[in-house]
Amino acid sequence: MNNILDYLKNKQLVWQGNHNNNVLAAQSSGYPELDAHLEGGLPEQGMLDIHSDTGIGELRLFLPYLLQRQIQQQRLMVIIAPPLQINSEMLAEAGFALERILVIQPDSAQDALWAAEQCLKSGCCHSVLSWQNELEIHQVKRLQLAAKQGNSLHFVFRNQQNNSLSLPVTMSLQLAPSHEGISIKINKRIGSWNNNKVTLNMRQHWPVLTQPETQATYADNLIPFPNRRVS
Amino acid sequence: MKKLWLYLHFPNLQLDCLPSEQSQVPTIVLDGKRNQTTQCNSLAYEQGVQLGMGLGTASALVSNLQVIPYNPDIENNKINEIADSLYQLTSDINLQTPNGILLRCHNMLAFYGGLSAYWQAIQENLKQLDVQYQFATGATPFAAKLLAKTQFNHVTDDAKQLKNALLQRPLEQTELAFKTVEKLKRVGIRKVAELAKIPLSDIAKRFDIDLVTYMGRMLGELHHNVRFYHPEKKFNRRIELLYEIDNTEVLIHPLKHLLSGLEHFLKIRDQLTEKLIISLQQREQATLTFDLEAAQGEYQAQQWQSLLRLKLETITLLAPVYAISLQTGATFIRTPDKQDLFAAKQGALSEAQFISQLQAKLGNDNVRSLLLNNDFRPELSSAYGSAHAQAHSVAVLQKDRPALLLSTPEVLTEQVTINSGPERISFGWWDAHPVLRDYFIARTQTGRWYWVYRDQQQRWFLHGVFS
Repeated sequence: MNNILDYLKNKQLVWQGNHNNNVLAAQSSGYPELDAHLEGGLPEQGMLDIHSDTGIGELRLFLPYLLQRQIQQQRLMVIIAPPLQINSEMLAEAGFALERILVIQPDSAQDALWAAEQCLKSGCCHSVLSWQNELEIHQVKRLQLAAKQGNSLHFVFRNQQNNSLSLPVTMSLQLAPSHEGISIKINKRIGSWNNNKVTLNMRQHWPVLTQPETQATYADNLIPFPNRRVS
Repeated sequence: MKKLWLYLHFPNLQLDCLPSEQSQVPTIVLDGKRNQTTQCNSLAYEQGVQLGMGLGTASALVSNLQVIPYNPDIENNKINEIADSLYQLTSDINLQTPNGILLRCHNMLAFYGGLSAYWQAIQENLKQLDVQYQFATGATPFAAKLLAKTQFNHVTDDAKQLKNALLQRPLEQTELAFKTVEKLKRVGIRKVAELAKIPLSDIAKRFDIDLVTYMGRMLGELHHNVRFYHPEKKFNRRIELLYEIDNTEVLIHPLKHLLSGLEHFLKIRDQLTEKLIISLQQREQATLTFDLEAAQGEYQAQQWQSLLRLKLETITLLAPVYAISLQTGATFIRTPDKQDLFAAKQGALSEAQFISQLQAKLGNDNVRSLLLNNDFRPELSSAYGSAHAQAHSVAVLQKDRPALLLSTPEVLTEQVTINSGPERISFGWWDAHPVLRDYFIARTQTGRWYWVYRDQQQRWFLHGVFS
């Protein structure tokens, strides 16, 4: 009886609830709280889908991770179709080597996808950052393959509205503004399931870009009492 | 050392340049000015066409005759190409335009160990070029030329045999002017032998100096200076297309031929180039010229081809293309790349190759690097540069700067609350772009972080976003 079960397990014909076979190779994101929440950190390769408004700290959140990758890997970082001009002073101040960064401003969304695929599969880039609102499943699959081939990580920044489709990405995060920093919700992560929200306190990382708690209207865990009286 | 020259005569050079399918049809090359057939292929010859015939006679003999106008440029290109490939085997080459090549062989024989080995090497090379040729050796350039043109087709260093063969040639076949030959005929001189019997000083008394120099040079009594060929430093080749092409995808096929020629050219010189200049000649339109750049020196046709394919996608033709030419930019000696043996290499491309691939498709202006300037004005301190520009290090890097900047500040329209500031930037009062601004970090109702400033007129602008 047991033998049969072992046999079936070995053949991978039985799925178990606690099955955790394909754990992602992960690296620390630079924030211990977030690492604990993500059970290890951010993926080393693949596609990281980030739903976020522009200007709430979505790029700053990943800078420690990107910097660590740049120092370790000595490869290029490519920024494709940023919504505004990239400020080199800020990146230099954060410790990035500017000659290891390329910015690509394609003329069309088609060119942007092409550039992203080339960068990912060339093996010359440790990370590719792109701003791409419209993505389809077959495009994501293709980019995932390219990322695997070139051992590269693709950060895709998208607006929160385009949230309906579930894409075959490695990890999908939803970012929301918070007075103290930024709150992160994991939409999807290969290998595990954790739907909780975590709010990172960024007071020590970006002191001028946080507001004291007193100004906050409500804390995350409070439910406002209804104003209208129920008779 | 006994002198020996080898002459190669290419009677059908322009026909040889045509693609091989053309030999299935009777074809002639016609000199339009003189209305004379100058070259004909074997099919046309079998049906009775002979050299020197007019167009009317030739087309009367052969119903499906293909006529190609004579173009000395094509022969010139081809003869240079042949000389270029022979240069790998022999050092002293003299071009006898439009269709002959003279080789000085006596100084090469020690290297090859004999005339037969030398001739074998030359023959092998000519076989690859796929051209028809007549050949002969001779003690002087003119002797070799006369023998080759009269189809002697022997390679020998036997001076007696060569001399005998030379003396048998009639004077009509020499380089002498028609008038001189006629004059000599009238006094009963018809063969080289008869003329050779007369001492040069006696000839000079009765005939012009051209005859004297020609005979003197042919018989080796006068010195004959020849200029030797030097291979070109740059690759510059042009092909005429047999049919016009109006599709850039089809254009890649003739270009492949040029690129493989380029690869051979650069490989034997052990050189690389970073730039190719390609001109497409369009019918009734201006020639379309574009550069193809690689970030690191390349010679391989394969690498250029992939760049070219990307480049052609971005090009629109105004009219069908009838000729293509390919030139190299500066070339330089190849030096091996120094790469870290232990660093894992992920892809087949090097970084410079990868960047040139992006540039070929997206255009040089769309692939940028980040630069820094020593300036306190945010719009000037940070800039984009060309892909290979190196950022200078800057004395002071300011803290708390936004990741994204608006290229031109916009009037602030959203309601914001100020979180920190002001930070005054007063700079550039000495140049044309003075700045006096108070910068603040502000937060919008929706939680975005803005970098805003107030100018002297108390107007508010948005300059950056803390992404």
